[in-house]
Amino acid sequence: MASNKRQIDQHVGEFLSGYIDGELTQQERQRVDIHCDTCAECRVLRDELREIRQEVGDARLSEVGEDRWREMMDDTGVQATRGIGWLLLIGGLLLAAGIGIYEFVTDPSVELFAKLLVAAIYGGFAALFISVLRQRLIERKSDKYKDVEI
Amino acid sequence: MRQELAQLGGGAHALATQLLGNADDAADAVQDAFTTVLSRPGSYDAGKGALRPWFMRIVRNRCLDMLRRRRPGDVSPDTLHNPAQGPEELLDDQERYTRIHCALTALPPDKREIIVLRDYMDLSYAEIADVLGIASGTVMSRLHRARLALKEALEFDGK
Repeated sequence: MASNKRQIDQHVGEFLSGYIDGELTQQERQRVDIHCDTCAECRVLRDELREIRQEVGDARLSEVGEDRWREMMDDTGVQATRGIGWLLLIGGLLLAAGIGIYEFVTDPSVELFAKLLVAAIYGGFAALFISVLRQRLIERKSDKYKDVEI
Repeated sequence: MRQELAQLGGGAHALATQLLGNADDAADAVQDAFTTVLSRPGSYDAGKGALRPWFMRIVRNRCLDMLRRRRPGDVSPDTLHNPAQGPEELLDDQERYTRIHCALTALPPDKREIIVLRDYMDLSYAEIADVLGIASGTVMSRLHRARLALKEALEFDGK
């Protein structure tokens, strides 16, 4: 009995937050109710915290609407599909090129000179392509106006 | 699932904004979280809990990653707090919103995030514990301290 009285006399502190959030057991709620009946300080604090909670709940802490998130998710889907598409295309081309080169190199009916000639032509194309690609990538990386919309 | 995620976008953005201090970075964090979730559709197990705390944990982790990578001076908190915009210039609801916004900005991130999770997003204590990775027994005391700090900040702002 004496310990119960002592509990009531003490401020209920964090239980006030649990109380306004509906997270206390029935016994704990009763304890807060009894305490607040006699303690004006805790009663005022409880009401103030409740008001603040309401204000935060009503505030607009994000200005971005649901439609914008839906658009963003669609963008993510498109990006993922595009990534997979490129991966499959490049993988398929590399595989086909590998098989073609293997068939061409191991074909006994083609003379060595012809093989070297074709290899030089394709090698030249590949070198030019890589050179242009590299240049474009460097430009893209260092172009400070790339984000400017015209 | 896409529909549910779109509905969580606003709350996730509010949480990320409070953690990162910048609305644009927060939008990037939320979009990254969407990408992570949508690229691995099987990663969410409804049997292990609700979608909302699970998604908020992903957003929070993304924000913490961004904060770790951030260099001093990278953040521009102006988007959160604009002192030049006085309450007298705003309409009533905007004034209240700005007041809360400014008071939250004055708090440390750990206090801001727990207030947003509970009071703005209405997560239960168990869900908050799940998002923050803390024991559910400590949520009430941590939240109470955060609310007292917010109350103090609001009073200071009102003076």
